[in-house]
Amino acid sequence: MPLIVFLMLLSQDYSQRGYVESLGVFYPESAVNDSGHAIGEIHVRHESFFRPWTNFQLAGGIDVRMDSHHQTEREFRFDWQDRSRKRPLLSLRRLSAQYHRAGLTLEAGKQFVRWGRTDIVNPTDRFAPRDFLTVVDNEFLGIEAVRGTYEQGSNTVDVIWSPRLTPSRTPLLSQRWFIPPAGAPPFMVERDIPDGSQAGIRWSHVGFVEFAAAFYSGFDHLPSYELVPGSFVVRETYAQQRMIGGDVAVPLRLVSIKGEAGYFQSPDHLSDNYVLFVVQLERQAGEWFFVGGYGGEAITERGRQTADFNPNRGMTRTILARAGYTIDVRRDIFFETAIRENFDGIWSKIGYSHAFGQHWRVTTDFNLIRGKPVDFLGQYRRNSHGTVAVKYSF
Amino acid sequence: MNRTRLVIGLLFLAVSTAAFAQDPRTIVEEAQKRSLSMSQRYEGTLKVIDNKNKVTEKRWTFERIGSHGNSKSLLRFSAPAEVKGVALLVINHPDRSSDQWMWTPAVGRERRIALQDRSQRFFGTDFSFEDLEERDSDQFDYKLVDEETLEGAACWKIESRPKQKKVSQYSHSHVWVRKDNYVIVQIENFSKDKLVRRAKYSDIQRVQNIWTAHHIEMFDMGRNSRTILAFDKLQYNLPMKEEDFTIQAMRRER
Repeated sequence: MPLIVFLMLLSQDYSQRGYVESLGVFYPESAVNDSGHAIGEIHVRHESFFRPWTNFQLAGGIDVRMDSHHQTEREFRFDWQDRSRKRPLLSLRRLSAQYHRAGLTLEAGKQFVRWGRTDIVNPTDRFAPRDFLTVVDNEFLGIEAVRGTYEQGSNTVDVIWSPRLTPSRTPLLSQRWFIPPAGAPPFMVERDIPDGSQAGIRWSHVGFVEFAAAFYSGFDHLPSYELVPGSFVVRETYAQQRMIGGDVAVPLRLVSIKGEAGYFQSPDHLSDNYVLFVVQLERQAGEWFFVGGYGGEAITERGRQTADFNPNRGMTRTILARAGYTIDVRRDIFFETAIRENFDGIWSKIGYSHAFGQHWRVTTDFNLIRGKPVDFLGQYRRNSHGTVAVKYSF
Repeated sequence: MNRTRLVIGLLFLAVSTAAFAQDPRTIVEEAQKRSLSMSQRYEGTLKVIDNKNKVTEKRWTFERIGSHGNSKSLLRFSAPAEVKGVALLVINHPDRSSDQWMWTPAVGRERRIALQDRSQRFFGTDFSFEDLEERDSDQFDYKLVDEETLEGAACWKIESRPKQKKVSQYSHSHVWVRKDNYVIVQIENFSKDKLVRRAKYSDIQRVQNIWTAHHIEMFDMGRNSRTILAFDKLQYNLPMKEEDFTIQAMRRER
C-alpha cells in the first residue's frame, strides 16, 4: 500500500479532486412524523485517478458525511456497498479499474453508469440508483459492475453486468420525507433485497440525429411494498424488471428536441407494466439556457404491489422545466419546476450561486412544494424548504 | 557590389510584387500550410477579466491530432477545482461545421453542443464554443481588404466569409496575416456589421519550426470583457492515437 501511494505521488498521471461542503436545510413547516425544522450536514468527497500505464487507469473515491438529523449513521465503519438505509459515515464512492485498447473500453468495480439523454426524468437510466432521503434533492449511487464499451466510428455498444442490485436509498420512516399512509397503524418494514444480477445493453449512434436503443434485465432499484397478511409488517421488495427503450436527440435551427421512452415489464408481476416517456426542448440564448418538456406514463398492466416509491413515475404526467442565467463568470441563478398536468402537485426550485476566488462557492435555493395529499409531489406539501451550501473545492 | 545590390533589389521587388498580387486564399492557405502539424499539446492558463476588472483564472490542457479540417481535439479543465475534469471534444470536418461534445463529471453524461448553441461562451470565458473549432481555409471565401501595419509588422488584412455549408455565428471576419512569416496576428469577428469579438495573437515564438503565438487575448465587445490565454509546455508532432479522441476517451476522467 505505501508503495502504491509512493508511486502515485511520483507519477505524472495521478490527479485528484474533491470538496468539503457544509449544508444547512431549513423547513418552515412542521411534519407529522418529524419535529425538526433545521438540519446541518457536512460532506467531504475525495476522488483520485491514477494511470500507471497508457491504457490502464484506476479510479477511486470516498465520501465522509455527518449530519444533525440522524440521516447519516453514527457508527464508524467503512461501507463498500452503499446499500444501507441511512447514509454511511464513511463510504466508498467508486473504485474501478479501466482498460482500453483501440475502440474497446473495459471497466470493472464500483462505478457510475448513466444511460439516456433527457433531464429530470430518465426512463432508460436503469443502472443509476439514487439517494432519495430528500426526495427532490437527490444524488446518484455507484454500482458494482463490469462494463464493456466498444466504439467504432459513429456507433457505440455498451454492455453492463452487475452482480447484485444496489437499491436506491428511500426516505427514512421517522423523517418528514416519508409520508405515512393516512390512518395506518404503526408498522414495521422488512427489507428484502434480491440476490440476482442485472444486465443491460445499449447501442447508440452519433450523427446529425443521435439515437440509442437499450435493453435491461434485472430489478427495479426503487421499492414496492406488500402487506404481510395478519401482521403489522410491510415487506419492502424490489420487483424483477425488464426494460426496452431508447432515446433520440434532433438538433433543429432554433431548438434541440430530445426524447426518451421505455417500456417496463415486471416478470414477477409485483410491479405495474408501463410505458414512461419524456419529450423536451432545449435552447441556449445569450446567457440563458432553457429546458422544457413533458413526462408521460401509460400503464398497460397493474401489478400486485400495495404501494411503491417511484419518483420517476411520480414526475410523469408532468410539465418539466429548467432554466438558468449566468450573471457573470462567478454568479448564476437557476430555476427548476415540475407541475402535474392536473395541477394536483407542483415543485419549484429557485436558486442563486456565487463563487469566491478559486475554491469557494456559496449556493442558496428555495424549494416550494404544494399540492394534494394524493399526489406524488403534493404529498410533500409540508416539506417546502430552503438550503444554504458553502463548498470548498480542491 | 552594385550589381549584387541591384539583383537583391530586383529580387525583393519581384517577391513583394508577387506577394501583393497573391490572392487572399493563397495567403491563408500558405499560413495554414506553415502551421501544419500532426499533433499539438499545450497547457493553457486563462485569465478572464470582466467589465469590472475582476479576474478569474482557469487552466486547461489541450491535445489535438490531425490538422485543420481533419483534426480532433480534446480540451480538459484542470482548474479551478470545481470544474476539474470538465472536457470538450471537438471533431472538425473539412466540409462542414465541427461536432462538439462536453463531458461534465458531476452529471456523468456527455452533452452534444448543438449548432445553434455554439455562440455561447465556453465555461465563462470570452471564447465561444465556435471559437474552439479549427478553421479550415476551404470553408471560407476570402477578399483582400487592405494592407496594414499591426504591432510594427506589415500585414495583409483579409476578409473571410463562411461558405453556405458552414454554420457560423459570425457573418464575416477580418484576419490580419503577417507578411514576413504568415502568422495570424489578429482576427475580428462580426455579426452582420457589428464587431462582436476580437482575438489578438502575440508573443510569437518559433516552436519546432512553426511560428506560434503563445498569447491570445479574446475581447468580447458586447460584454466588455476579455480572456487572456497563455500557452505553456507547447509541443508539436507528439505521438498521439486516434482512439484518444473519441467520446469514450473524453469520459475517461483524469
